[in-house]
Amino acid sequence: MRTVVVLVGNEFRRFAADKVAISLTFIVPLVLIYIFGNVFGVNSEERVPKGIPLAVVNQTDAPAPAAIISALQKEPAFKVITSHKDANGVERVLTEAEVREMMRAGDIRFALIFPADATSDSDVALKMKFLRNARNEIETETVDGLLQKTIFTAAPQALLASLQRLGANQVGSETMARFNHSLADAIARGFGGDPAKILHSIETGEFNIPGTTPTNTNGNSFLDRLIKIEREEIGGEHAKSPIATRSVGGYAVMFLLFSLTGASTSLFDEKKAGLYQRLLAAPVRRTHILWSKYIFGILLGVVQLLTLFVAGRVLFGVDITSNVFNLLLICLAAASACVAFGMLLAALAPTAAAANGMGTLLILTMSAVGGAWWPTSFMPPFMQQLSKFTIVYWSIEGFLRVLWANCNTRELLPVLAILLAFAAAANTISIWRFRHGQIFE
Amino acid sequence: MLTIENVTKRFGEIVALDRVSLSLARGEFFGLLGPNGAGKTTLMSLVAGLRAPDSGSISINGQRVGPNAMAPRHELGFVPQAIALYEELSAEENLRLFGKLYGLAGQELRARVDHGLHAAQLFERRQDKLHTYSGGMKRRINVVASILHRPALLLCDEPTVGVDPQSRNAIFEFLQRLNADGMTIVYSTHYMEEATRLCSRIAIIDHGRMLALGTLDELLTHLPFSELVRIARNDRTTAQMQALAEYGEITKAEDAYLFKLRDGLRFSAFFAAAEELGLPYRYFNIRRPTLEDLFLHLTGKNLRDT
Repeated sequence: MRTVVVLVGNEFRRFAADKVAISLTFIVPLVLIYIFGNVFGVNSEERVPKGIPLAVVNQTDAPAPAAIISALQKEPAFKVITSHKDANGVERVLTEAEVREMMRAGDIRFALIFPADATSDSDVALKMKFLRNARNEIETETVDGLLQKTIFTAAPQALLASLQRLGANQVGSETMARFNHSLADAIARGFGGDPAKILHSIETGEFNIPGTTPTNTNGNSFLDRLIKIEREEIGGEHAKSPIATRSVGGYAVMFLLFSLTGASTSLFDEKKAGLYQRLLAAPVRRTHILWSKYIFGILLGVVQLLTLFVAGRVLFGVDITSNVFNLLLICLAAASACVAFGMLLAALAPTAAAANGMGTLLILTMSAVGGAWWPTSFMPPFMQQLSKFTIVYWSIEGFLRVLWANCNTRELLPVLAILLAFAAAANTISIWRFRHGQIFE
Repeated sequence: MLTIENVTKRFGEIVALDRVSLSLARGEFFGLLGPNGAGKTTLMSLVAGLRAPDSGSISINGQRVGPNAMAPRHELGFVPQAIALYEELSAEENLRLFGKLYGLAGQELRARVDHGLHAAQLFERRQDKLHTYSGGMKRRINVVASILHRPALLLCDEPTVGVDPQSRNAIFEFLQRLNADGMTIVYSTHYMEEATRLCSRIAIIDHGRMLALGTLDELLTHLPFSELVRIARNDRTTAQMQALAEYGEITKAEDAYLFKLRDGLRFSAFFAAAEELGLPYRYFNIRRPTLEDLFLHLTGKNLRDT
């Protein structure tokens, strides 16, 4: 038994001396728990995302759509966008055509359109179109649910307002006003209360009517028959296997980061083996070694990505052939950025173990924050901003533009530029570090 | 062939090499002898162009050596202290790689790789992955990988570390054949026996400074004695050491005493005294001083103890 105790003590001493093991055991899980907690709202009262951009176009002057828009603006889950600045910097109300264009460009993913015939003079029913770019299934389903909840919560007020307008059209404004006054007085006499306030409620529809709460929005609710939401998919029309198409990019780039970081940190193994002494004593420059690592990493990365996409094609029917040139471009750019990340780690870390430990922490964090596991819109605003500084975010963006939105090269260029800019910046730092560091000594 | 002029190299506060100068003629088998940390590997790395000296210069056949100088590298072969080979590749794949880096190709590359594998007595196992080789086998390939391009100057930085006697002999014979064919070799070691066996000239180096330089005979003239008496250590000799100390200087070795005769005295007087003390002749063994003795004389410490 004493021997076991001695050996256990030795295991603890070795563990305490291994900073990488400590970080992988404690720091990585803590960071991920923090990110998970923020995504799933553990610290907030309402476990829903906040500030998801929702474009709203109202082509009517009816009160019901205005009431719903007002309710949407009060809903923290949404950031309602009704206008934009034109080329001259003048704020203008969004049109449906502009919204569709913005959705195709990937600037927004959800829009609510109240068409000109959203309401009619002969009916209290309300029609609207929900445009959605369902490139992330979780986000789309969540937004759909939140939108329904908000609309149905605001619906009674909106519909009663419509009813008032319909009544005024049918019997005349004065008759309707007299009716409303009589009704308010009768309610005040029968049930008590201020007739003026009751009149205001009647005219604006601000009632709490049992059976019309959002908890009763199933198919049996009369609201379902009055509110018609027509859903239209914008983007992804060509995707033969939507779920696989949406998710393949995120996981591909995560595994790409792992494999290419591993390849880059092999620099340490070769240094340890004395191979650089032999190589550099030959007619070989440091830059030759670095370029060989970089080119190999990119080729390996592209092959790995294409293998994953081919597997996606064979197993799940992901369409990779209709936009193959742009797929190759984004694979190349993503692989360049991932290799540069690996080289940067190797350049900054003092040892292979440190590089691998830092790599694991950063890759998992980038994957979580960058949108490989869940929609970035589910995260707090500062994490959403942070996500845009990750390779994962832009790689996923690129893959979705190619596979989901079927974008052309011009539309893909901004993403390619960002990934290649990251690669260039990381490589510049790495080369400087490799020139002045110890890896080739 | 190789000229080192007043070279100094520092690593922070540590002076790894202090104004070292050296000149090698073509065809020499030159030894760098010193303990671990003496500066041998630093000097090798400077000659190989892996680092630049802080001051001084190094040239091979008149071409200045440095990290950015590529031309002298074709004249140079470097056997690193580590087994600097790709373990996941076969011996043949390793040799082909390093041959190609020196510009060899086609039939010439194939011929040189095959010749190297035969010379290392590993031709039959050429396609086996290196990680299946013994340490000695790897060491042999480590040397062959450095001479495929037939360099004029071969630097061997302790190439037999951790090698079994059989492989060590094979490496020695291989290097001696290369030297006989005209290759200049610089061989660093902390084994006196290796330097004595292989090298025509030897430099003794310690704490970055060159303490002595010359052939073995020239080096031993630095000693104030030409013979050394090794006395077996046992109860009888231990009891008489004080009496024998009158005739010279006695130091303790591992399992013996080493006796150096005092100037002006003759060995006949010493042995007569030993006989008087009842010590038989079989306890005594006269031998020539070694580089170990020279190192002890120059530094006050044993080569093996440092």
